[in-house]
Amino acid sequence: MSIQTLEIIRKRLEERPEELRQARKNGHKVVGWTGYNVPEEIVHALGFIPVRIALGGDDRLVEVGARYASSKTCVFIREIVGAFSENKDPYIQQTDILAFDATCLQNYRAAEVIEYFFKKDVVVLAVPRNFAEDDAKTYFVHEANEFTRLLEERAGRLLDNATLGESVALYNDIRKTLKSIYTFQAARDNVISWEEVYDLIQAGDLLDKKEYLSLLQQTLAELTELQHNPVIEADCDSRIFISGSLIPRGDRKLISIINLAGGRIVGDDLWSGILPHLDLDIKEISPAGVALGYLNRTPHAALPYLDLESDRRLKKLHELLSQSRAHGVIYHTLRYCDPFTFKAKETKNVLAKSGIPLLEIHTEYAGSDYEAMKTRVEAFIEMIRIKSELVEEEAA
Amino acid sequence: MTISGNYFAGVDVGSLAAKSVILKDGEIFATGLVQSGVNSVESGLNALNLALETAGLKKEDLTYIVGTGYGRVSAPYANKAVTEITCHAKGTNYLHPTVRTIIDMGGQDCKAIRIDPDGAVVDFAMNDKCAAGTGRFLEVMAGVFKVKLEDLGSIALSATDTVPMSSTCTVFAESETISLVARGEKPENILNGIHHSIANRIAGLFSRVGIESDVFFSGGVAKNSGMKTAIEQALKVSIVKPEIDPQLIGALGAAVIARNFAKKEGLWV
Repeated sequence: MSIQTLEIIRKRLEERPEELRQARKNGHKVVGWTGYNVPEEIVHALGFIPVRIALGGDDRLVEVGARYASSKTCVFIREIVGAFSENKDPYIQQTDILAFDATCLQNYRAAEVIEYFFKKDVVVLAVPRNFAEDDAKTYFVHEANEFTRLLEERAGRLLDNATLGESVALYNDIRKTLKSIYTFQAARDNVISWEEVYDLIQAGDLLDKKEYLSLLQQTLAELTELQHNPVIEADCDSRIFISGSLIPRGDRKLISIINLAGGRIVGDDLWSGILPHLDLDIKEISPAGVALGYLNRTPHAALPYLDLESDRRLKKLHELLSQSRAHGVIYHTLRYCDPFTFKAKETKNVLAKSGIPLLEIHTEYAGSDYEAMKTRVEAFIEMIRIKSELVEEEAA
Repeated sequence: MTISGNYFAGVDVGSLAAKSVILKDGEIFATGLVQSGVNSVESGLNALNLALETAGLKKEDLTYIVGTGYGRVSAPYANKAVTEITCHAKGTNYLHPTVRTIIDMGGQDCKAIRIDPDGAVVDFAMNDKCAAGTGRFLEVMAGVFKVKLEDLGSIALSATDTVPMSSTCTVFAESETISLVARGEKPENILNGIHHSIANRIAGLFSRVGIESDVFFSGGVAKNSGMKTAIEQALKVSIVKPEIDPQLIGALGAAVIARNFAKKEGLWV
């Protein structure tokens, strides 16, 4: 059973770079953004076309990036720098302005490198480290206002609340629809896979937002017709949840290995996946209101938080694991992605207390570790299956 | 010759050696161990044929075959493929039911495996993709000192001192070793340092999965007495003495799993 709207989305993605080229010819400006706390609604409300700069999986570009950024920078950032160096990516080619945030300091470093070496116009949003404190919120509101001012300068107009309200409403609808679609992939007898939903989420990074919402609603309608009432229950499959470092477009190594090993992915908390779309509550239509909405979501791993008991990230992970009825977590860490790599052990220990196994896969974009990754993932799935069989035998 | 009983085989094709174990009902009946070649299908078949020859059996006499090791992906002679992590767990549990922790050091990787009383894997960790802490690393070092691989351990045990080794990267360690020799350090003391350096790296793997007694050492490197001693010191444990060649444990586990699959699929009652 194929979802027809997904085919339309794939086609629209093929057409999108040319569409952006035409839009720029007609005077529109494209903002390429990357980070976890960039308030995209503000970019959108100022009349820019927002496009997320997130690409991975190309070891050659990583090497090119290493000519400009330290070789100890994570492979994702090095690939982005490499892509700016080559300027062949159809989306990077179309960017007029870049908006980066400093949630992860490597992202901030990328902004500096790209501005310095490739003479790009970069706006950086500073992000507080101690996000849970009141002072941090005050600081972030100030920085969001400054970020807005810098973008207003480039837009040649001021941000008005009515337009911002429309953008917030549009993005809220996108998030709401995505969340509904996400439920279907984890269901028993699902008609849409996690992989398809993941691609669908990332399509939203590139497509026009109004059209994207319409395509999402079409997808949801199709799904509802095909599977009226999705029921999520644990079955005999090895239900895998993916956590850890981001998996951007172009990087599907781990996902394909899990599939080949017979695992079924049923959920994620990746910042290139569903996580940024969850729990975003914008209470006030203003740059400050949008910024606080972003900051109050589940925080990014790069922000320090030492009290495990009240860490909202772990709480969210538990909640999502419970919703997806996952049997185990595959925790993906990219080489030199320190925020997630440093958290692997504590996350594993915390989940172990709930009886949920975690496998850390530490990798990069080269293919040389493919077989070793495959052995680990296969063994993890065997471990889960044997455990499930034993549980079933005991129940019988 | 009349063949009676049910025979199950496990074939473990590693990067340096291919191993096979045939179980007759519940007992080890025959084994085969050959060097791995470039062609992993051929290597696996050579090991299996050697075991069959020793047992006086034909391949058709086998009820079920499970392939494991890196060569499991191309084992057309096997009914099923299972990872070496699961197989080492089962094989160890079959021989030593009290073991809860396994160190498996093979030709190209090293694994820390925790198991439950049934031999099911509870947790595991593997070394990174480099050759540090593996059989290949020791092979390179044997080449540097121009000694036989099987003599490395006993030479290390004859050391009067431990020369610290700062690198566990095979390439860097090789050049560091040459520098140490040039400096006049005794080969046995350098080799002792190399073994301890590997053991300390293995201890890092166990910080991820933990250690619970009893502890077993499997894989080809487990035959190295110097490595065994260095690991015992690094992990502060006593390693259980193997009942068979520890290099055969993966293949044995595969044979045990073959028997379980055969039972599940109704091929053996």
